[in-house]
Amino acid sequence: MFVSGLRVSHFGAMMLFALLVSVAFACSGNRTLAMRIKYALLCFLLFLAIGVGIAWLMYPFSR
Amino acid sequence: MTTEDSLPASSAKHPAAPAFIAITAWAVPGLGHLLLRRWARALGFLLATAGLAVVGFALRGEVFSIHSADPFGMLGFIADLGSGIFYFVARVFDAAGADVSRAAGDYGTRFIAAAGIVNILGVIDAYGIARGRRV
Repeated sequence: MFVSGLRVSHFGAMMLFALLVSVAFACSGNRTLAMRIKYALLCFLLFLAIGVGIAWLMYPFSR
Repeated sequence: MTTEDSLPASSAKHPAAPAFIAITAWAVPGLGHLLLRRWARALGFLLATAGLAVVGFALRGEVFSIHSADPFGMLGFIADLGSGIFYFVARVFDAAGADVSRAAGDYGTRFIAAAGIVNILGVIDAYGIARGRRV
């Protein structure tokens, strides 16, 4: 869907990056598996929301 | 649900370990946590670091060397070096070399740097556990 061979769409790359970094963040400092899953989900959603938000803010300057 | 709260204090079991744990955690992502019997964290840091590094190599991101001419290159080298073994086997995965003329190649450079930063986070976490400062 997002990855085709070695090519990744902008959004696909952002999602992949957000997912992997969120897993690492969640593994650092959270005691239980439930806490880790919640924290990873929160980080992932924040990554996406902030990324899309910044993209919209930059849109007027893109052309 | 499994928690790591019930695990024995790692610092008591590894009296001379903190520096050793930090080095092993850096050299092989997740190994420091594995030695401390933090299985889930070990797997998490290994998956995150390996995933970022391998995707970065697959996207043909740039792996900086110590001989970088500019300060940003040196910062990139420090970040890349953080991924431990993945930095040293980069040439195996990265046989075609970097291609930052495409956006994907530039993303790859960021993925590889992020792999190093994430692993450094893992090293700090493992060191803290070994010192008994973290659970």
